[in-house]
Amino acid sequence: MTTREQSDVAPAMTLDTSGLLCPLPVYKAALALEGMERGQVLELLCTDPGSLADIPAFARQRGDRLVEVDDRGELQVFWIEKGAGG
Amino acid sequence: MVIQTEISPTRPTDHALRRFEDIRDLLPDIDNPTPLVRIRNAVSADNVYVKLEWLNPFGSIKDRAASYLIAGLRSNGALENRQIVEASSGNTAIAMAAIGAISGTKVTITIPDGIPEETKTILRMLGAEVWETPDELCPVDHPKDGAIALARSLAASEGGSRYVMANQYENPDNVQAHYETTGPEIWRQTEGAVTAFFAGFGTCGTITGVGRYLKERKQDIAIIAIEPEKGHRLAGLKSFAEANEPGNLDRGLIDDVVTVSDDLAYAMTLKLHREDGLLVGPSTGAIVHAINSYSYFADGVVVGVSPDGSAKYTSQFNELLGTDGLPTQ
Repeated sequence: MTTREQSDVAPAMTLDTSGLLCPLPVYKAALALEGMERGQVLELLCTDPGSLADIPAFARQRGDRLVEVDDRGELQVFWIEKGAGG
Repeated sequence: MVIQTEISPTRPTDHALRRFEDIRDLLPDIDNPTPLVRIRNAVSADNVYVKLEWLNPFGSIKDRAASYLIAGLRSNGALENRQIVEASSGNTAIAMAAIGAISGTKVTITIPDGIPEETKTILRMLGAEVWETPDELCPVDHPKDGAIALARSLAASEGGSRYVMANQYENPDNVQAHYETTGPEIWRQTEGAVTAFFAGFGTCGTITGVGRYLKERKQDIAIIAIEPEKGHRLAGLKSFAEANEPGNLDRGLIDDVVTVSDDLAYAMTLKLHREDGLLVGPSTGAIVHAINSYSYFADGVVVGVSPDGSAKYTSQFNELLGTDGLPTQ
């Protein structure tokens, strides 16, 4: 299942958190986004099913934009566009 | 002329001479207790003593728990090819990092919000890896235990092959440390006259271990817990209005709980510094404020634990003091 908002920007970075459990994917995503510019997109790969709730909430909390959520069953792929608040 | 004498380069630890082969020989027990010192001025009663745990080799009461936790992990083989991960507000982390450094075990610490910079730097000086963790790391309505959640996640990730969590909040070795050392020390140092014991809610190893030991000796010894307010900045203490109660807490031992605000804790801490020369940390201030607010224990001996000293909190005190102590002209 894929949901996508409009974005013209390809991911500037891919972070693979496969095998890691909540809240490690959130922690590592926050670190990755710290080093990125506003408007850049982080592609985040997760295998923890909890990420389907955690990552959208994380992005909302930080003021980032969740561009895409791709639930492939065992793998979830998120595209997070860094906002002004992060 | 050079005089040759046959002096052995090493001699065994001798507590009477205060000569030690290894820093770990300074870890306390009934024969080598931390000092119990009377508070002469900062409180209104004259029978109140504090147990100075900051005179432990790594600077706090957590030296006891850390030594027992690591020994337990080692004895059950959990440290083979793995490093320790632990959630800690600082003191357990420092003790674990120091003991780990001496014994060749790598230590990773997840540390919550509000911890002094001094503590984080000390950990890195001891070779630990420090992951600073916001209290609200878990965005989906978790209690404010982001550091604990992160430590658990590290221990569980990669099939549990890389990290083992000492888990001071749930591991009974924490309680056992205080049941076997702190409790017996207090009983002997007060010659059995202790009537009340005060300690803070944190991992609850101290209050449960000491409480259990003392009540086994005399059921009517009062065990009083100190809890900070929600949103507090008292490192080492926990408010259960915002954090989970640890498995190490035995509520059946607790006779009363006193809530103390940050302001009152810091005010009493400064009083202890200035009126008694006791350079204690702010959690001690909270505990002693609670003791001072009680009027029930005129007989016998009241003991409060002083978990750590003031050195790690100088930047917080600097902020609190403002221009106090600076020349006005």
